[in-house]
Amino acid sequence: MSEGFRAPSRLKSRIYSALLERQREDGPLLSLSEVKARGRRLCVFEQLVQIAPVGESAKQPNLCRVCHARALAENIENAPVYWPGCPYAQFQNR
Amino acid sequence: MIASNFPAFATKGTFDLGRHVYSDSGWELSSVSFSARESGRGVNDDVALVTAVLQKDRKATAEFVNTYTDSVYAFIRRRLSPRHDLVDDLVQEVFIAAWENLTSFRGTSPLRAWLLGIARHKIEDYFRRLLQSAQSLEPEAAEELPASELDMDAIADRKRTEQRAQQVLADLPEHYRVALQWRYWEKRSAREMAEATGRSEKAIERLLARAREQFRRRWLA
Repeated sequence: MSEGFRAPSRLKSRIYSALLERQREDGPLLSLSEVKARGRRLCVFEQLVQIAPVGESAKQPNLCRVCHARALAENIENAPVYWPGCPYAQFQNR
Repeated sequence: MIASNFPAFATKGTFDLGRHVYSDSGWELSSVSFSARESGRGVNDDVALVTAVLQKDRKATAEFVNTYTDSVYAFIRRRLSPRHDLVDDLVQEVFIAAWENLTSFRGTSPLRAWLLGIARHKIEDYFRRLLQSAQSLEPEAAEELPASELDMDAIADRKRTEQRAQQVLADLPEHYRVALQWRYWEKRSAREMAEATGRSEKAIERLLARAREQFRRRWLA
């Protein structure tokens, strides 16, 4: 009795944003350096911050919060977001 | 097809619900398709993912959302039909509740089943709130409860009639629809519904009788 419903990409995007916001409220996120050390792929913007000569605390904020990809993905179904390593690109039902 | 099935329900004249399968391993899980991302995942993968999410690894959180949202969405959408306008908010509530309770995930069952358990609670919260606020549960003077000829259990069980049943349900007033869904699709007893809503069991039975009668009329129309 398969239903075949797929969640809208906008919904996934909003859930992800909400979860990261909840995580941030509880304290800093895992730094980008640690995320990369685990073999996870960073987006181009995260990579720039990750290699920048700044302290670890500067690599902990949720950078997606100020990213155009988030704004697009939360409001447009199958938004034109294609950055490799971007979670919002990953959520698109393409 | 529907018409040829109908006499079988009509002759039974029962509302016994004991045969309907509703468990994590049965109807409930089989009613939602596994996404390609979920297939092949083991409990160890789930535990590793949950651990990473709890460590606030943003990429693990994205994987968590991307892997399980389709299942939760399909599970809720099916049960709230035709109120599709409520589905998105409820799915988001499930994930927020999951995050808040993720430390209680022990890995004894798949993460998907754990999430669908939360989803079921959220759906029942919605059912409960709706029936708590429904005015028509109050007893009506000299009300004669209709005796339905339909076997609701058989209707809920049969795949072939499921789609038709969903259409009929969608046409019912919301409190009737929710009462029938909760009772016959979610397999809650009238007593459980009464306890959850703070209404008397008799009031719930009256509501169900009226709902069944409305269903019957539309089914036969």
